[in-house]
Amino acid sequence: MIDGVTKAIAASIRRSMVAVALAGTVLGGCATGDTGAAEVWDPIETPNRFIFSINRAVDIIALRPLAVMYRDLLPERAQTGVRNVLDNLGEPVTAINEVFQGDPSRAATTMARFFVNSTIGLVGIFDVATALGLERTKEDFGKTIGMRAGVEPENGGFYLMLPAIGPSNARDGTGLMMDYLVDPFRILTFNLAVDWDWYQLGRYGMNAIDYRSRTIFALDDLEKNSVDYYAALRSAYTQNRAELIRQKREKTDTKGELERRDSLALAR
Amino acid sequence: MPLLASRRVVFGLAAAVAVSSFALPALAQDPAKLVEETAAQVIDIVKTKTGAARQAAVLQVLQTKFDLPYMGRSALGTHWNQATEEQRTRFLAAVATAEARAYSERFGQYAGQTLTVGKVANRANGVTVVDSRLNQSTGQPIKLEWEVRDGKITDVKVEGVSMVMTRRSDFNSYIQNNGGKVDALIAEMEKRAATQ
Repeated sequence: MIDGVTKAIAASIRRSMVAVALAGTVLGGCATGDTGAAEVWDPIETPNRFIFSINRAVDIIALRPLAVMYRDLLPERAQTGVRNVLDNLGEPVTAINEVFQGDPSRAATTMARFFVNSTIGLVGIFDVATALGLERTKEDFGKTIGMRAGVEPENGGFYLMLPAIGPSNARDGTGLMMDYLVDPFRILTFNLAVDWDWYQLGRYGMNAIDYRSRTIFALDDLEKNSVDYYAALRSAYTQNRAELIRQKREKTDTKGELERRDSLALAR
Repeated sequence: MPLLASRRVVFGLAAAVAVSSFALPALAQDPAKLVEETAAQVIDIVKTKTGAARQAAVLQVLQTKFDLPYMGRSALGTHWNQATEEQRTRFLAAVATAEARAYSERFGQYAGQTLTVGKVANRANGVTVVDSRLNQSTGQPIKLEWEVRDGKITDVKVEGVSMVMTRRSDFNSYIQNNGGKVDALIAEMEKRAATQ
């Protein structure tokens, strides 16, 4: 049943991706040489660059300094604890995506992690589940779409610079929205009609600082060693996301191959 | 009979190996070895040298182990064809300096990193891809993929992000935003090499 729905969604997404890709070839047809995958489709580059400059200003003034302080002043173990709590809050969304990716057993493992860490791990501060052999995965709906859509993983639709969030594209932006909508913690705080604004703000704020603190080195390096930071980041983001999706696809391919061999062995 | 057959197979294989080793006399060094050697050299440089000495040593590694002209040409993309011989030489020199500086600063102080070489895959177009992992003393290992062609490294992918591809995007965008001329890019890179 779920698989049917997923397939229907995937099919419609695939159709729209093809349309997007077709539109891309038509629009960009005259501009392309042998540039190939290096060129990311960016039809709204001007507004994107504008958002990027605002993001950078906010980053330079507030986010990066906070992230540096967080990284350098907070003890390593406290940082791990914070990261574990945030990761733990994200586990249900990962599990939902794993169901949509057609891997319910992996989703069950993720939920087992969530229950173990939320209880024994004291609301997720300690990652007990990993010690028990339940490995952590991180999935999002952008990856789910990318895995199901029958296009090159480099093709995520048009490139999109989101305010405050940063580099994205049609695929990952849609994914982000879906993840936000299905997030049980968001639904819970909304439905209980409790004023948990501060909780939400704290969660997303801490997520931003934690994530930024882990990307300081890579982003500083990219900025220092590029002549057009915007274009370099656009390329790096697209390639990195494509790599994650490609890994996902390869994994399911091998799994499918093994299953095929198993059934062959049974038939024999 | 089976013994004979297997003997024939062995002979056949031996002959095939002999022929192929004669047919490819220029068969360069094993790609996995090349990657391991390069990593060992770089780690040694990071451990023992700093500042200008480190940059010079890194440049030397880049020039001996990497196919810099090939990488530079790929990074410039279509603009390579329009560039004059003089522009190409200047561009390649500027890229080499920029890469050497980037790498010597990137590593900072040695913090116990080691490189483990994994799977080696041959592509149809003569490129060998060497998978590896950079193990750090803290945190997750970093996934590094090396592309090797004719015994030289032509690209490094860090977590799927290709150095050459990112440069290409970066350079092309800069050229486009500066009148479509390669000169602007070369001037900017030379300026950067001179300062800092």
